[in-house]
Amino acid sequence: MKINIWHLSSLLISFLVLIPIITVFTSFFENTSNYYEVLKNTFLMEYIFNSIVLLISVLILTFLIGTGTAYLVSFYKFPGCNFFKWALILSFAVPPYIYAYSLTAFFENYGTAFTILKNLLGDANYNKNIPKFDGMIGAILSVSFSLYAYVYILARASFLYQSQNLIDLGKNLGFSKFSTFYKIILPAARPAIIAGLSLVAMETLAEFGAVDFFSINTLTTGIYNSWIHFDDLAFANRISFFLLLFIFSLFILENLSRRKAKYHLNSRGGFKNKVQNKLFGRKAFLASMFCFLIFFISFLFPLGQMLYWTIKFPQNLFDLKIIELMLNTSYLVILSSLILIIFSLISNYGNRVSRNKILNFLSTLSISGYAIPGVILAIAFITFIAWFDNNIIKFLEFNSIKKVFIGSILGLVIVYFVRFYSLAFNGIKSGYEKINISVDESAYLLGYSKRKTFMNIHVPFLRNSLVFIIILISLEILRELPITLILRPFNFETFATTAYISASEDLLEAAAVPSLFLILIASFLIIVTSKYILKESYE
Amino acid sequence: MKKISIFALVVSFFVSAFAVADEVNIFNARHYKADSELYSKFTNMTGIKVNLINGKSGALEKRIIEEGADSSADLYITADAGRCGAMDKKGHLQGGLTSKVIKEAVPKSFRTNKWVGIAKRARIIYYSPERVSGAELSGMTYEGLADPKWKGRLVIRKSSNIYNKSLVASLIANNGKKAAAAWAEGVVANMARTPKGNDRAQIMAVAAGEADIAVANTYYLALMLSGKKGAEQQEAAKKVKAFFPNQNDRGAHMNVSCAALVKGAPNKANAIKLVEFLLTPESQEHFTNNTFEFPMIDGVSPSPLVVNNLGLDFKQDMKTKLASYGKNQAAAVEVMTAAGWK
Repeated sequence: MKINIWHLSSLLISFLVLIPIITVFTSFFENTSNYYEVLKNTFLMEYIFNSIVLLISVLILTFLIGTGTAYLVSFYKFPGCNFFKWALILSFAVPPYIYAYSLTAFFENYGTAFTILKNLLGDANYNKNIPKFDGMIGAILSVSFSLYAYVYILARASFLYQSQNLIDLGKNLGFSKFSTFYKIILPAARPAIIAGLSLVAMETLAEFGAVDFFSINTLTTGIYNSWIHFDDLAFANRISFFLLLFIFSLFILENLSRRKAKYHLNSRGGFKNKVQNKLFGRKAFLASMFCFLIFFISFLFPLGQMLYWTIKFPQNLFDLKIIELMLNTSYLVILSSLILIIFSLISNYGNRVSRNKILNFLSTLSISGYAIPGVILAIAFITFIAWFDNNIIKFLEFNSIKKVFIGSILGLVIVYFVRFYSLAFNGIKSGYEKINISVDESAYLLGYSKRKTFMNIHVPFLRNSLVFIIILISLEILRELPITLILRPFNFETFATTAYISASEDLLEAAAVPSLFLILIASFLIIVTSKYILKESYE
Repeated sequence: MKKISIFALVVSFFVSAFAVADEVNIFNARHYKADSELYSKFTNMTGIKVNLINGKSGALEKRIIEEGADSSADLYITADAGRCGAMDKKGHLQGGLTSKVIKEAVPKSFRTNKWVGIAKRARIIYYSPERVSGAELSGMTYEGLADPKWKGRLVIRKSSNIYNKSLVASLIANNGKKAAAAWAEGVVANMARTPKGNDRAQIMAVAAGEADIAVANTYYLALMLSGKKGAEQQEAAKKVKAFFPNQNDRGAHMNVSCAALVKGAPNKANAIKLVEFLLTPESQEHFTNNTFEFPMIDGVSPSPLVVNNLGLDFKQDMKTKLASYGKNQAAAVEVMTAAGWK
């Protein structure tokens, strides 16, 4: 076999992704420190229990909200349905941790709800009548209202391409609307919904900010805490092991359902256009109300709360170095996008020209990084660098490389790379699938070299995909918390870390300004790409 | 291999750059805007440049530990004696904060030779004057928080909170681990709710009627009264009163913001100069007016908001060594966790 640049770059990327996985598995057998040994075992059970409760509750809620709204906007016409189609994905702009801040700010004793009641009804102690959404309930709500859009997008895409014939058949058989939905529409969309739920599940298990804010001990916060408070990397890696087992099973489930989804989607040609029933009167009102309620709770409410606090405590607006934060975020986005796109292009092009099975396997392996929670990636990265430094660099008598990789932009970008590689790789892959292979062959016949074909034909074709990828990466890096928090250089903040630090230092109102900016920038990016996001998912 | 040697070059360049200039590197976990103004004053006075590295205490400690002997940190400034003590226990601090100025300014129990208190706070009891009578509170102590008469009436933060760890560590130092364990069980039995929220949330819970008494630090009430946290919290703060426990014996539990001298500090002399500067009346006034802490030195008055609402003539615990907070920290966590303190 000829070793060429395609193999080398694919090998390098797979190796990067394998580092955290191997580190976690090898550390599992290491001794953890004896400090708090007994306590740790009780902690572990609590971590697992809380993770499961959170996971199941979030899955149920996101399923109900995601498929409910998707069903309404796909099958019916009602006032505002065209607006809600894309507005419902704006919830992505509010990361769970910012949702958590909003919930607390609104419902806490003497919070915003209290102020509203006082202004409406006059002086009294309303605190006892205001429900408190904190702890586990708060975490479940925060994660669910931020992530249901995964289910919404995929369910809606699947609904749109369902066979109208099948639905008509159900009508002819005398099915009611509910039994048509329950017996025909839902089973046909099952693979897409499961794929959406798997994404929700992975994000929920990886969730750090909101869960940490409500001090719920889950596997993910447990990893962070045993590293930072117990100084126990080995125990952190041991918890990571359990979390990875969880995630691998989800990963397999998701891949299986996706395979089915493809099969299902291929059969879309040749069917009648979908008929959208127009709703009237009370039904139309209820459908609008439901979608508006979800849009309000998931997006307008946190946006409003953060805006209100920014206005109420304006001093924080002047104290925040907004331009510096913007530059920092842009710097990370540009650097990461550049590296991600270059490697994704090389891998995709390599796969295209060589059609080699090993290469294909390596790329599949490389994209699994997105399934590994950021906390695990960051801590495993530190473990690996420390090991490498202690065993190899010291042996060769070089200066320590720890400072080069830990707490540096370089280390941060490497770990982002592992986490977001699938985003770039799949984006370019779907772009490439639209360029017929005969285009390449024609180019070769015309005497184009491989390089010229790539530069003059592929890159222009891929331009839209590239823009889309950069925006998605911006969105991810803007919201990303645990990796940035653990690996960033000191005095290097993003909107996310500023909000997190303020919130955890008893300065929740100071967290409002960076949160507000984060939501606004993310909303802008989502609106710019909304057509693409909604279209992309069913192609 | 070539790459590695380039890395080595880059690293050694940075290390040497750090050592040459006339400066001091502070790893700072106190996020008060006021503090950075104070450091600029120091630079103006002495010409020593202050490099401020801000972060959460956990992350800063992590970095000091990671960097080990060649740490770039000179001083670690954080808001609890338990944190400084724990860093000492792990062997990451060095002796030398023993200049005459420091010794004269700071009482013995508030310093070691490796770290020094720079501003004081007390962890005290807040109560609702509507629901708690003077007779009930008379002679109240920390030990008394475990009394069954407070069943369902007490709010306090989680056991993972450093202020609670230090409070329990001081109880272990005074009464022994066994008594502290029984005490923790009593406190858990008295809780009005599962612990949640920060110190202000405990005070607000009393104001809102969720509980009758709360445990929180002194400066939080002043902060709420100042209006910096909004009109609602200002109003809430007026509904609670402060009570200083253990006035008939050792005095109220005291804690400090502390400055610690890091092992391998490249600018040790400058670090000592800076600590001395933080202990001048001018700096101390700056602390009391901006963070509502108590001054570390004599001759400086706390903020009027503190004096008017908390009073000045309370007995501080000057006996219990703050160094015991770090020493007993692991035992404190064990005691609280065993009692089911969330």
